[in-house]
Amino acid sequence: MKRRLVIAAGAAMPLSACGFVGGGDGDDNTLRFWLSGDANQGGGFQAMADKYEEETGVRIEIDDVPYDDFATRLRNAAQADGLPDLARVTAIDSIWMNRLQDLTDIAAEHGIMDNLLVENADGEIPTIPTDLTAVGMFINKSLFDSAGVAYPTTPEDIWTWEEFIAALRDVKAGTGARYGLVMDASSHRLRSLMYQFGSDGFVRNDDCVYETDDQAAAALELFADINDDDIMPRSVWVSGDDPNALFKSGQVAAYYSGSWQVADFTQNIADFEWASVYMPAQERRATNLGGGLMVAFDGSKAQQAYDFVNWLYSAENYTEISEISGFLPVTEGLDIDYGDFQTSFDMYNDEVAASDPISSHQITSQLEMVYAGETEAAVEGDPIKDEAVKLANGEQDVPTTVQNIIDGLNEQSGSCG
Amino acid sequence: MSTVTTTPEAPKASGSRRPRRTREVASTVPMSTFLWALAALYAFPVVWFLMSAFKPGSELFRYPLTILPEDPTTAGFELAWDRFDFFLYFSNTLAVAVTTTVLTVMASAMTGYALAKYEYRWVKVFFVCILATTMLPTEVILSPTFVVIRDLGMYNTLAGLVVPSILTATGVFMFRQFFVSIPDDIIEAARIDGAREIGIFFRIMLPMSRPIIMTLAIFSFQWRWNDYIWPLIVVGDERKFTLQIALRSIVGAENIDWPLLLAASTMSIVPLVLIYVVFQKYVMNEDLNAGLKD
Repeated sequence: MKRRLVIAAGAAMPLSACGFVGGGDGDDNTLRFWLSGDANQGGGFQAMADKYEEETGVRIEIDDVPYDDFATRLRNAAQADGLPDLARVTAIDSIWMNRLQDLTDIAAEHGIMDNLLVENADGEIPTIPTDLTAVGMFINKSLFDSAGVAYPTTPEDIWTWEEFIAALRDVKAGTGARYGLVMDASSHRLRSLMYQFGSDGFVRNDDCVYETDDQAAAALELFADINDDDIMPRSVWVSGDDPNALFKSGQVAAYYSGSWQVADFTQNIADFEWASVYMPAQERRATNLGGGLMVAFDGSKAQQAYDFVNWLYSAENYTEISEISGFLPVTEGLDIDYGDFQTSFDMYNDEVAASDPISSHQITSQLEMVYAGETEAAVEGDPIKDEAVKLANGEQDVPTTVQNIIDGLNEQSGSCG
Repeated sequence: MSTVTTTPEAPKASGSRRPRRTREVASTVPMSTFLWALAALYAFPVVWFLMSAFKPGSELFRYPLTILPEDPTTAGFELAWDRFDFFLYFSNTLAVAVTTTVLTVMASAMTGYALAKYEYRWVKVFFVCILATTMLPTEVILSPTFVVIRDLGMYNTLAGLVVPSILTATGVFMFRQFFVSIPDDIIEAARIDGAREIGIFFRIMLPMSRPIIMTLAIFSFQWRWNDYIWPLIVVGDERKFTLQIALRSIVGAENIDWPLLLAASTMSIVPLVLIYVVFQKYVMNEDLNAGLKD
């Protein structure tokens, strides 16, 4: 009999613990804000939430959701009627697209860069970017210096890809470095390479069919050539080796990645000197932008959510969060103090400013497509990356790769409106 | 493992025993060496992982790699403790794991007993039905289960994590097989002495099945502690995250804070290690029943 009691008590105790049963929606003065990776970026949003509560008494409750699961989580929440009031997303999903508030006035008031804004069919702007990330180049300065190889320090000296690769060969010869370059296995980086070759990458024409240009093929040709286990290790693209770790090992002369690495490198590289440098420009200077997107849902606390977004983008507060989280700003003319990262971020801001407008194409085209209801992809995957992997592995030549990418993209895209 | 720890007896003067002892040593040494080598092989990744948790970020990817941290630091642990509400995630996970375990053991024991000791045709059919559920992988029933949990209003609650995990065919099967092996005479004798059915179960059968209870409890606890996919789907609120989901947030979009992740992972395995230490003999016994699945 005693045993039974013990078991029953054991079962009941955690059940009665606070919050075990029932949703607990919080009170009216609390907004729910979902995002991913704030803690890893220095906790800027959390700091702003604290400041907002201090100023207005409205509590912003931040849920830091794992990045890879963020989209799934939002979809499920939309279906279970559990959407938050605010979110910082990486893509708009048609499942909750119609639940977003119009942020046009906020964008206009705070001067968000025009080339980042996209109107939907109703002329509304449902989302504005929170911050920018940009593709960029890092070098192992110690290796370059010890090999006596120079690198461009002013925009006038910017090299072409051939000159850059030649410099990497010199560094390798002079220092015994294992590889010249590593590049993230991502179509985002590959697009930026194409842009630098003067290509517009793979874009959809008026007939609703994807097309490309000769410069894209030239960029892919270079990509195939340097994936030779000498300049670039094939393992990164073909078998998922971690380029960040390879660069940190000090065995690689350069790393084609982006602004999000700056904080990591500042903190976690002590064995050698590194630097952010100008990216090679074959035909033109270009990068590829990315970043978070701010959305406010039109739930029961729509107005409060809107007010917070409006508050966040004011010059003072936006400068503060950019400084805490190391954001490249989405508005112009802010004076942001990046502390230890200043040199690198000056470089990135210069790259963004000097880049061809194509650099924001990936952000805006995705929004345009989802607003037009065209991203109900029947086929999952990323044809540009998948085919580039085969190219890097020597399975197919450049013309085949180009054709396969176009076929893949066409297959993925829904019907045109 | 006893071969490893057996030390040879002190040598005696008697010459006639020598050949046998030599033979013993000859068979023990290679066996022990092999087992030690095997143990080292298994220990290597864990040791490297633990050592890496004490390395500063700049040493993690240094070439050539080192096992021992050159400049040991607990900065990762401090950061992890500081940045994550470990206490909250621990108590969430613990609440889910303990509740599920208790309920699972109760439900499985009762079901297993009924299936083993009450002879009706439909009970056998029911048993086959329960066994059939093991043929459906968890992933297959994920979506329907989610709909049920949502309609029950358990979305975003810890109860939503517990309820679907209570009934496991594995547990029922373990208990049924055990109770089948117990002679019916014991039940008959108890009935003759005037025990009620519920008394027979609680006062005779349940205490006898202690090894099975411990085994299932350990497995169930381990399953729930390490569960990832289900909590990920059901819990949306950061304050209800289990440890595994919280750990996952360290992995960012473009890069991973390795020192933080290593330290936090190390901390997350501590409770399971403690449980292992306490219940070691049961784990050692029952892990031999390989092939059990959630």
